[in-house]
Amino acid sequence: MSGNGPSRAIANFEEINSPEFLAQLLAKGPSGQRAFARMVQGTHDRFLGFIRRQLASPDECMEVLQEVYLAVHKGLPGFAGKSKFTTWVFSLAHHKICDRISDRDRRHQELTESGEAALSTEASGTERWDGITAWDAPPDRVSARNAVEGLIGKAIEALPAQARQVYQLRDVEGMSGEESAEVMGITPDNVRVQLHRARKQIVEWVQEKMNGVGNADEPRAGRQGNGK
Amino acid sequence: MSGWFYKVLYPCDKVRDFMYDYLEEKLPTATSIRFHLHLNGCPECRAYLFLYKKAADAKAFRKEYPAPDAFLASTLDFLEKEGIVETGDDPQADQESW
Repeated sequence: MSGNGPSRAIANFEEINSPEFLAQLLAKGPSGQRAFARMVQGTHDRFLGFIRRQLASPDECMEVLQEVYLAVHKGLPGFAGKSKFTTWVFSLAHHKICDRISDRDRRHQELTESGEAALSTEASGTERWDGITAWDAPPDRVSARNAVEGLIGKAIEALPAQARQVYQLRDVEGMSGEESAEVMGITPDNVRVQLHRARKQIVEWVQEKMNGVGNADEPRAGRQGNGK
Repeated sequence: MSGWFYKVLYPCDKVRDFMYDYLEEKLPTATSIRFHLHLNGCPECRAYLFLYKKAADAKAFRKEYPAPDAFLASTLDFLEKEGIVETGDDPQADQESW
């Protein structure tokens, strides 16, 4: 921190979702601005973790999170409070992530068409895995986790993009099926189907690695496409 | 139960497809009985269920990617330049409303 911490304690998700906090966020002037800073302080880790699972480049993740907070600020006056505030922010993050993936797919398509695909694939692959190494948990933390959990973490990486988003919202963030459906813009039944499929893919991936098939250190690049 | 009988009740694929509803406690009673009879006789499905439960309980992965220390400061700086946040210590200002 560079000495610019908000004046009050960090707000947690429960507090942020309260009507009182929403009223503070909507207040004009320094009061609202300080509430916004507390909201950022209390949410950036969770939202960054969500984005980080979908986009590999650390710089891109930071840009997207900043875009999300800008979108929150812009949309705040119109936020009707029909859903939890944090569910709404997850929804904004989901759309920003989808925009990035679409842009990347389109750029990749353009490069492929102009015959430069090989160079691009090599460059983006390096960025992706270098990013994970740089941001990954320290080795002592990794070794402290049991082997199955370590493999599950890698299996999550290998999920197709949409399945990974559903899985992350439901099983990692602990949202309800309805909330996840709202964030993703799909039906709760679709969430159920995709979540079950994602869990099965994780189990089967872990079993495959535990049985010694393939190389557990090299998860498939599930986050490259949008998986749709 | 031994031998092949448990597979007559339900094949392994079907039992694995019931695991979502099993964890949600939404299996109908008759299905639940067959599901458990199959599990009793099938070590592969028991192992599968163990991993399925682990996969479904993934809150530990929330902090898999902690933000770098400088990230919050740079985000707040960025938002402050945009006029969106106020990060200075000014408890008096909380009383203001304008």
